[in-house]
Amino acid sequence: MDRSENAGVPLERTLRALGVLMGVLLPVYAWTVVQAPIDSVQGVMQKILYVHPPLAYGAYLGFVATAIGGALFLWRGEERHDQLAVAGAEVGTIFCTLMLVTGPIWARGAWGPGNWWVWDARLTLTLLLWFVYLAYLLLRSFTEGDERAARFASVYGILGVVLIPLNYWIIDLVGSAMHPSNIEFQGRDRSLGEGMGLPFAVGNLTLFFAFAYLLVLRWQVGLRRSRLEAQADA
Amino acid sequence: MRGVRLEGVGLEKRFGRVAALRGVDLEVRPGESLAVLGANGAGKSTLLRILAGLSRPSAGRFEAHLADAADPLSRERLRGHVGYVGHASLLYGELTARENLAFAARLHGAGTTDDALDSILGPLGLLDVADRRAGTFSRGMTQRLAIARAIVHDPDVLLLDEPFTGLDEVSARRLSGRLGALRERGHSLVLITHDPRRAIELAERGLVLHRGRVRARLSAGADFELEALREILARLGREEEADRAA
Amino acid sequence: MRVALALLWKDLVTEWRSRDRLVAMVVFSILVVVVFQFAWPALEPDEMRRLASGVLWVTYVFAAVIGLGRSFAMELENDAMTALALAPGTRGWIFLGKAAATWLLIGLVQALTAVVFALFFRQDLLPGAAGLALVAGLADVGICSVGTLLSAMSVRSRFRDVLLPVLLIPTLIPVLGAATRASAATLAGDSPPWDALQPLIVTSAIYTILGFLLFDFVLDE
Repeated sequence: MDRSENAGVPLERTLRALGVLMGVLLPVYAWTVVQAPIDSVQGVMQKILYVHPPLAYGAYLGFVATAIGGALFLWRGEERHDQLAVAGAEVGTIFCTLMLVTGPIWARGAWGPGNWWVWDARLTLTLLLWFVYLAYLLLRSFTEGDERAARFASVYGILGVVLIPLNYWIIDLVGSAMHPSNIEFQGRDRSLGEGMGLPFAVGNLTLFFAFAYLLVLRWQVGLRRSRLEAQADA
Repeated sequence: MRGVRLEGVGLEKRFGRVAALRGVDLEVRPGESLAVLGANGAGKSTLLRILAGLSRPSAGRFEAHLADAADPLSRERLRGHVGYVGHASLLYGELTARENLAFAARLHGAGTTDDALDSILGPLGLLDVADRRAGTFSRGMTQRLAIARAIVHDPDVLLLDEPFTGLDEVSARRLSGRLGALRERGHSLVLITHDPRRAIELAERGLVLHRGRVRARLSAGADFELEALREILARLGREEEADRAA
Repeated sequence: MRVALALLWKDLVTEWRSRDRLVAMVVFSILVVVVFQFAWPALEPDEMRRLASGVLWVTYVFAAVIGLGRSFAMELENDAMTALALAPGTRGWIFLGKAAATWLLIGLVQALTAVVFALFFRQDLLPGAAGLALVAGLADVGICSVGTLLSAMSVRSRFRDVLLPVLLIPTLIPVLGAATRASAATLAGDSPPWDALQPLIVTSAIYTILGFLLFDFVLDE
């Protein structure tokens, strides 16, 4: 690989550091999950615990990155901030989607047949967040003109990040009034069993850095692309 | 002294891959009139929208100064000093001519008394139709009302994007006369046109754009005359064709 | 402020002369109510009573989407949007004027919808009418502010008719959640509960402030 090509590419060192970290963390993560004891009630299915809750970091932080990138873009008008916003939205969407896929699998496993979906607070919030991500990406692709798309998306990104706490509040309010039966489902909050603490912690750490790695990678791809486009045009 | 000086240095406007402007320098001094010529897609309208404070350049510097002020105007304030006539009329068909004008005046914080509005409608020959809905106007009347809308706040600079499009010869000549009268009253004009005749009629300087770059600067007395302009435009047209063939 | 009033005046005059937005919203709202009748045929009035709040708010939200979509569509004819963008000073006032006009229009349509609903489903909504008006008035501030902001964006996008609801509805969930709960209480004869009014006030305030500040970027190009 030609090293000189990468000289001066922004974020290159951050990306490499995160890459090394991932190289160490991933095998450790896999190993601790395999070594973790099988849950006496839920069986193997319970191991989704080491995947599902830690995904939330990416799902929520993705939107924080999108909002920060969007706000900076509106303020300074620099394309690199918009690229951060895009990276946050795309990587966040992946984490959010994985949460929505693993959630029902776990629910079905834990609460028995028919319980693919429950309107519990966190799952509902994640679903709404997913819709906001989707709306954000659709807005980007449907808006004519790159600069306008970036500006509109920035506005929506800021709106979206404000929406998360508002939605949380409402779901709490409506949920507690209308679906009291769901409260008993929140058994996943109970303390972890023997030997489950370590893999859970490693899972949190790994998926947090996995998010950071993907975010920076996607950001760099965006920056490189806009640089190439500018060169091609000149 | 009254008036606004507009100055652009190295203006670029890029929409993704496409660059509409690639480094344009220009200056419009108070009371001066400039014609911007060029083929479709040369970047004329993009340039005008930057001058109007509607659009920010992707790169380069655009500043507007009040004649006696050192600090440049903010875009918010600049918009109060320019009048803009676009491709479309910017009018509401449901409102009468007078209501359209009153609405524009309120947006600009200008006077909305009948006298004030009549003094704008009168010289443009719109007094008789002032209470008809703009949606029923002919092309020529609409264009005159669009100009009335643009000058309702007595702007220092009037920016016109192909104002003669769709007008017959008589209406075009009449419009040209009225724009000339505005110029006499001290408004600067920036006129976008592909018609060299109108450019020479109304402006003392000309700028020829081609693919986002300035290809010629012409000023009165020297080479800002019909034959020279026609020849430049024809040459750029041939260049374009040769490029497309290649 | 003068600019906001000018926008409000202009929107109401043009709306009154054409009336197409109003008519479209009213006809649509009545149709939605009729659809509910066919979805639940032979429902007793007191069973319907329990669903009333939900039925009304589903109708209100869809009607609002239609009204908001038209709000800037009419600015696109003759590119009047550019004229708005050319106004000097803070563009937030333009936003407030547009939002206020839509607020009045949507409120009118909602009142008519409630009357039609009461007649079709033999409901006596009069005792809860004042409370319902309060709740709807508050919720509409949120709906119109965020809706005006999003409408100004979606109207200049491809597939704008689909894009607006996709953008708007997730942002309306907090408003909708609190509004249905507050309305349900009012229609049951209670006064609207504070813990449902509170999120309505907060959400509406946040959306109005955000709209005021962010509208500048939406009108830019």
